[in-house]
Amino acid sequence: MRSERVQELLESKAPGRWELYRKSAASVERTAGPDSRAEALRREEGWAARWWDPSLRFAAASTAGSLATAVEQAEEVRAAPGEPLDWPSGVGGRDPGVDPETPPAPPDVFEELSRLLAVESRGEAHLDALSIRRVATVERLRNAGGLDVAWTSAWLDGLAGGVGRRGTRACESRIAFRWDDTPELSSLARRLTDRLTLPLSDRGTPIERGELLLDPSVSASLLAGLVPLLTGAVGAPWAARADWISPRVSIVDDASADAPYDGEGTRSRRIVLVQDGALRSRLHDLVSARRAGEAPTGHGVRPSYRTPPARAPRRLFFEAASAAPPLDLLSSVRRGLFASALTAPARLDLSRDRYELEFTGVALVAGRAQGGVAAARSRGRLTDLLRGIGGVSSDRTFFPMPCPVGAPTLWIERASFV
Amino acid sequence: MDLDPSLLARWIEPLARGRGEIAEIFVERRREAALLWQDGEVTETRMRSERGLSARWADARDQRLVFVSRADGAGAREAVRELQSALGREPLPIKQGPDPEPGGAAPLPLDRWRRRLASLLARHAPRHRMRWTWREIVRDVVPAHAPACSQTRRLLSLEGTFTAASRRGDETRAFAFHSPDAEPTADELKTALAAAATPREAPLPCGEGETDAVLADGCAAVLFHEILSHALEVPGLSPLTGLSEARLGESDLEVRDDPTRLDLFGGYEWDDEGTRSRPVKLLDAGRLSGRLTARRPGSTEPSNGHARRASASDLPLVRGSNLVVTPGQATREEMTRRLGSGLWIEDVESGSVDLAGGTFRLRFPRARRVRRGRFADELGPGMLAGEILPAFKSIEGGLGRQAHPYRALGWCARGGQIVPVQGAAPDLLIRRISIRAAP
Repeated sequence: MRSERVQELLESKAPGRWELYRKSAASVERTAGPDSRAEALRREEGWAARWWDPSLRFAAASTAGSLATAVEQAEEVRAAPGEPLDWPSGVGGRDPGVDPETPPAPPDVFEELSRLLAVESRGEAHLDALSIRRVATVERLRNAGGLDVAWTSAWLDGLAGGVGRRGTRACESRIAFRWDDTPELSSLARRLTDRLTLPLSDRGTPIERGELLLDPSVSASLLAGLVPLLTGAVGAPWAARADWISPRVSIVDDASADAPYDGEGTRSRRIVLVQDGALRSRLHDLVSARRAGEAPTGHGVRPSYRTPPARAPRRLFFEAASAAPPLDLLSSVRRGLFASALTAPARLDLSRDRYELEFTGVALVAGRAQGGVAAARSRGRLTDLLRGIGGVSSDRTFFPMPCPVGAPTLWIERASFV
Repeated sequence: MDLDPSLLARWIEPLARGRGEIAEIFVERRREAALLWQDGEVTETRMRSERGLSARWADARDQRLVFVSRADGAGAREAVRELQSALGREPLPIKQGPDPEPGGAAPLPLDRWRRRLASLLARHAPRHRMRWTWREIVRDVVPAHAPACSQTRRLLSLEGTFTAASRRGDETRAFAFHSPDAEPTADELKTALAAAATPREAPLPCGEGETDAVLADGCAAVLFHEILSHALEVPGLSPLTGLSEARLGESDLEVRDDPTRLDLFGGYEWDDEGTRSRPVKLLDAGRLSGRLTARRPGSTEPSNGHARRASASDLPLVRGSNLVVTPGQATREEMTRRLGSGLWIEDVESGSVDLAGGTFRLRFPRARRVRRGRFADELGPGMLAGEILPAFKSIEGGLGRQAHPYRALGWCARGGQIVPVQGAAPDLLIRRISIRAAP
């Protein structure tokens, strides 16, 4: 069945109130271990429709024909009426018409990353699994308002896993990564080394209070933990205040360079979410924008054609008016800990203004490392942590969480440790 | 099976040229219906219909897979041709002409479940935000030089939150229930919802330190899922490596991985390489006795049917299915008395394991403190943690007399592949386990 027939079906069920989405993707994935190799070529096609009749309904399928069947089945259940969405309108566009070409195989870098990891870790860590995938996608979205847009994407992503051993101690860890095109093996090896060797120290935290330096990966996890606040999914009375976070940082979402539209056809744009210590804006998809009486911000995200769009960040990052080189921040620490990597997911209780970070890292005195810290925990009031951001470094790095989240090294003026 | 297995076999068999090579075609058709509920009303309906097919080849060191998101003859031909090209073999000729239409599917049980859920939720959890999902997964495997097989699983899940009364005011509680769609499911769901909605005291914070704990109502299955099932999925990496037949725990500790338990969420008749599933005893009288295996090219060791894929686009991995712990004879009263002072835990919401480090964690949403054999305060969320090998030794003999399916456990994600799992376990007492509060 062709897409025009599906459009006709949707128009017959929900005149003027539907959208039709198609995504096709081609990927080549290489997976390697010390004694094994695998390669997977995948060609995927997915279709999804939303319509309002007067309930909001969703259907997804791997072909246009089975989408039409799923659309009929979705109407078998009576649902409560809901608000219609203000779907973006527009003019017709060019159908890219072609599925993406099969991308070239990703580079085979297992041996090289293994070597880098061995060197960086002085033989204490080894790589036991690496998968790298090169992906190319074509997405097209049409709706009853005349919008017809399409966009393409391409990237490299993957997962690297290893084991660290020192004496009788051992630990394992996996790191997800995403690159635009060129593999960044050195930084991956450094991150893996920290994750796999610092927990092998025989020392806990030597101090109970002090300064806290957060590695970009840890800062990014902290920022990712604030997402429910930025989407309004969780209410936090303290977020209505004007000073719950240091004015040294802003929080911005801007995916304009990644794709011109979100998963609902709203134009991508830069949104300043937090500035001068206060919440300035929230992320909205069409549903939440309608409920809030605000304009959609271009944050209806479709992680897969299988699920309807939902409000979520697309490229979230800390921004600072002035940032110091990382070594300057490090040397300014009088007595504290450098949280190099989290050893458990960051736990933020937004409604109760509490946080807990479990990490491995290094003890610092007068800007100098004093030895590894196998495991430490910092916990307390989340707003104290955020207001205590006393310095921001210029080394902002993006991490897949799963959307890109960018953060630099952050210096927190005071924290307590267990 | 919609496709002709003998035709698929003729295409795939030339790829597996000897003992050292295996090949198969794997086909999946999936239908999924989800109803979003809020305070007694369905607010949204979501339908999904997916088809996918992959052709795979493997030898002792190398694997290749080609996936297409269609499940017809043309898709199979395309996948096999790509695979043949990747291996430098002569590809199948391109065939012209349409494929026959697939057979009609059975109607979805939406209205039956909508009426049941409306009644259950109104009675036990009138204020809620829940998602009910029904899945039908049909999988066909055509292995080279082996019989083809086909199976259908119908699974349902109810997850979300609801407002429950407690003696100090309302509170929001999480709820998760996963089960095959079968005759007893509605009654089980009713019992689970009623138990979850029982009024409770407001919880106090958990302390920090070491404690004794009873893992009750089947939640011990999560403990064994982490420290036994995962540990045996990855030979060479875990502290159980090289301990075959070693005594790990008490002699009445018997644990098996049992995919033939089709009444549990993780059950299946054939694994995703076409091997008949069978139970595998992992702990026998406290001794490590078995491991989970899949087909290995060139190996004489047979598979015991534990090759699993999240979807047709994934390579199969050795994975656990249903962890079943053999019950003992102890009554609940006896367990409480033997516990003396400690924690009584009936829910574990998540677990994690560091195989190389030999440690694990279990996060629980709430617990009951037990003092001198009597139930006392309610405690809030916390974390149990420990080392894998000492944990086995800390499990005291004399398990509870009934193994309860733990329906809150439904999915396991390893290496990004999410597969259905579950377990059934009696109440068990574990001594000297670390505990701390979790935010």
